[in-house]
This record gives sequence, structure tokens and C-alpha cells, in this order.
Amino acid sequence: MNPNTMVVAHPDHPLYMELIKHYRVRTIDEALNTYEPCDLVIDLSPLRTQKKFLFLKELSKTTKAKIISDLTLSWGEWILKYAPQVGGALSTLFYAPNKAFEYTLREPHDADLKKAIDQFAEVMQMKAVEHKNLALSFHYPRTIAMIVNEAYFALGEKLATAEAIDLAMKNGVNYPLGPVEWGDKIGLHYVAQLLEELNTITRDERYRLSTELKLHAFKNL
Amino acid sequence: MGQGIAQWFAQQNVLTEMVDQNHDFAKKSLEKIHQSFDKLEASGKLKSTDVQTFKKMITVKTLEEVDSKADLVIEAIIEDLSAKKKLFAELDNKMSSATVIASNTSSFPITLMAQGLSPERKKKFLGLHFFNPATIMKLVEVINGMETDKSLSSSLIHWFNDKKKIACECSDSPGFIVNRVARNFYGEALRAVESYDEQKCREVDNVMKEVGGFKMGPFELMDMIGIDINYSVTESVYNAFFQEARFKPHRLQRDMVAAGRFGKKSGKGFYNYES
Repeated sequence: MNPNTMVVAHPDHPLYMELIKHYRVRTIDEALNTYEPCDLVIDLSPLRTQKKFLFLKELSKTTKAKIISDLTLSWGEWILKYAPQVGGALSTLFYAPNKAFEYTLREPHDADLKKAIDQFAEVMQMKAVEHKNLALSFHYPRTIAMIVNEAYFALGEKLATAEAIDLAMKNGVNYPLGPVEWGDKIGLHYVAQLLEELNTITRDERYRLSTELKLHAFKNL
Repeated sequence: MGQGIAQWFAQQNVLTEMVDQNHDFAKKSLEKIHQSFDKLEASGKLKSTDVQTFKKMITVKTLEEVDSKADLVIEAIIEDLSAKKKLFAELDNKMSSATVIASNTSSFPITLMAQGLSPERKKKFLGLHFFNPATIMKLVEVINGMETDKSLSSSLIHWFNDKKKIACECSDSPGFIVNRVARNFYGEALRAVESYDEQKCREVDNVMKEVGGFKMGPFELMDMIGIDINYSVTESVYNAFFQEARFKPHRLQRDMVAAGRFGKKSGKGFYNYES
């Protein structure tokens, strides 16, 4: 247990069971309503841009600790620009086949935060992969979300069965997982939320959710 | 692509006739297939007796010489709709009524290609989309046109599965499964970098391999496939879906092609391959 670090996470977070073994884990409400001294907050709350911004703003009123925030579902560049209390960002919300996560640090970066991210990766037995040019979103979640969405468009159109789509992608282009099973591992509600956020930010129709995905994502919520 | 498909069929002990508009090209392909068999024998992957048998299984013919009673014809010519339709009309006249005709197209609708065929042939016409290299990649997309006899595609799926291929049935929709679902592996990567920047391309590739578990990153893969080919498939799927935003090509693809940076084959793409 690391006494100087507080982790904010929802029980639905894919790493939750592992997190509680090593960290003091608090919900969003607990983090905002209870003063607990710490040097570092690792915020893994699954919030979209606006809610994330408001949460970070409130959180900075209750703690002077350094903050690293999970921006999987948020517009990363915008949060880093307008939430100066956030020194670094990471993306842990989407299941990754390689047990790894992307992270970025505000430049010029704080060496302690780099150390903290490396330490977090070590404790969680994951690999931290640096992403220096965070813009709209982290690379891995946005790409996988689009691939999963397309598989659901295809399913909705009865192009093929879910099994055939997964087999085709694994054996035709060597994907480590089929897109339908990938979506199940991530949680379709997270895939749907990320695409809705990208659609909201960019107003680009390419991020439109397939109705089939919506149907399944809502069932999972 | 036809060369790899022909080789794979020969390796299944299927009598295979290879035809090309340019007969010398077909002969060269046969030489390459023989060389490939020899290499596989030298590396211990194939037995000498098998290699001798496989070599006997495959011959080069002109279109006039082919066995008109063949069970199956697989077309793998250039992606040109009028050229394909012309060839199918010829094959429809020449081949026995029992012959199944299949296209290895990656982009044209099967139903559209079957348009000029006789009603009976339409039932025996379908897509068999192999993946490169066909001797190694297990997947075959089995695509039903609107008139394809479903029992035919079912028996082909069983046959391919018996031969250790993985045959996936799908309906006749642009890009079929793989070329459609994979589009945004490239599309999102292009939008993440927006304009050409090798360092950013490297970062995206690194993340997709290290986090996503992909064997190659999107930019490396585009360089390997050929940026021009990838761009052309993207345009084809985009247009076939009546300009659906999800498939919209990116200006960086167009600019790379305009600059002659096609990828590995031209020495330069998103990365530089000139030593």
C-alpha cells in the first residue's frame, strides 16, 4: 500500500481489483468530500471532458497534491491546456492486450511525475508507453473504438456473424483480438462514450455510433 | 496474388491451370512457384516427394486451352470492373454449366460483376477473397452475391476448412469484412498525425504495437501494402458507401501518393527505406 498516493477510480474500472491491492482507492464523491493528505492523486475516473474538467477543478480545491489524470474519455489537449493542476495524463480505461498504457506529461515535465508514472506501471505490472503529442485523444482507445464501431455497423447490416468478423480480422490481418471480442473486453459503454465524446468535440460524422453498438452498450450499462 | 492462390491449390493436390493475358508472365509465375517449392523443400518444410507431386499439379495454359470442365475458376486479374466483366462473359460461354466462377476482388460487388452472366451461372458465381501471401494467410472471405446459391458457398466453406483455411462467409457489401473493418486502423492514425511528421508516425506505430498488440503499426503497414494501394482501397470503399464519413480518405494519403512516396516499394513512404 502506497500511503502517499490516492487513486480515484470507479469499481467498474478494468484495473479496480488490482488497484485496491496496492492503493488507497476512493470514489469521486469520497475524493471530493473527504480530506486525506497525499502527495499524488492518480485520477482514473471515467469522465468525459466537461465533467472531468469540473471534477479536477473541485479536486484541486481539496488537495495540493500533484495530479495525473486518466483522459481516455476526454479531450486530452483541452484538459491539459485549461486544467493546470494536471501534470500528466494516462489512458488505462480500455483493456489492452499487451498490459500497457499510454501516458503523456505536461512539458516541461516534472521529473517526479515521470517517476510516479513509472512506479504506477511497475506496481500494476504494466508497461507505460509515452505519447508525446496528445491532441484529441490517446491513440489506442480512439482507434480501437472506431474498429469496434465498424464491426457493429457490419453486424447491424448482417454483413457477417460476430464470430466470422472476429475470425476474419484475426486471420486476415493478424489482429490480436477480433473487434467484437475486443469490444466485450473493453466494455461497449466505454467504447460508446468515447465515440460520443469525439463526435461532440469534432462534430465529425465519422464518429457517429452504430445503432447496433448503442443497443448493446445500453444493455451493458 | 493469382500466383499465390495457384500455388496453394497445387499444394492441396488440386489440378491447377494458371492463365494470364501475358502468357510469358504466367510462365514466369510458374517458375517462381517452382522456386518456392524448392526453397520449402530445402528448409525441410516440404518433403521431396510432395514437391514433385505439387509441381505436376500446376501447369500454364492460355484461356483457349483451359479445361472447360474445371470445377472452379478463380479470377485474380487487375481491379478493373470492365476488364473483369469481359472476362466473366468469356468464361460463362466457355466453361461447362457446372463450373463455379469466383472472383478474388477486394472491392467490387459480386452482384455487379455477375450482371451479364446467364441466370444459371449467377447461382454459381461468388467471391473468394484470399489474403496475401495466400500460401500462408489462412483467411478466405466467401462472399455471396444476391443470386449465389447458398448451398454452394456452404460446401466451399467446408472444403476450405478441411484444407486448414479459415473461410468466413459474408454478404456482398463494399470491402467485405476485412477491408471495411480495418479502414479506421489507418484512418484514425492519419487523423492523429494530421500532416506528415515522421516522429509522430513512429509514435502512433509504437503505441499500436506496444499497447494494442498489433504486429505492425498503421504507418508501417501502409508503407508495406503501398500507400497508393491503401489510398485506392479507401477511396473505393468510401465511394461504394456513397461518401460515408467513416471511410473518408485523408489528404495526407493523397499528398503522399502525389509525392511518389508509395512506401517500401518506392524507397520512401512514411519512413525512408533508402539506405
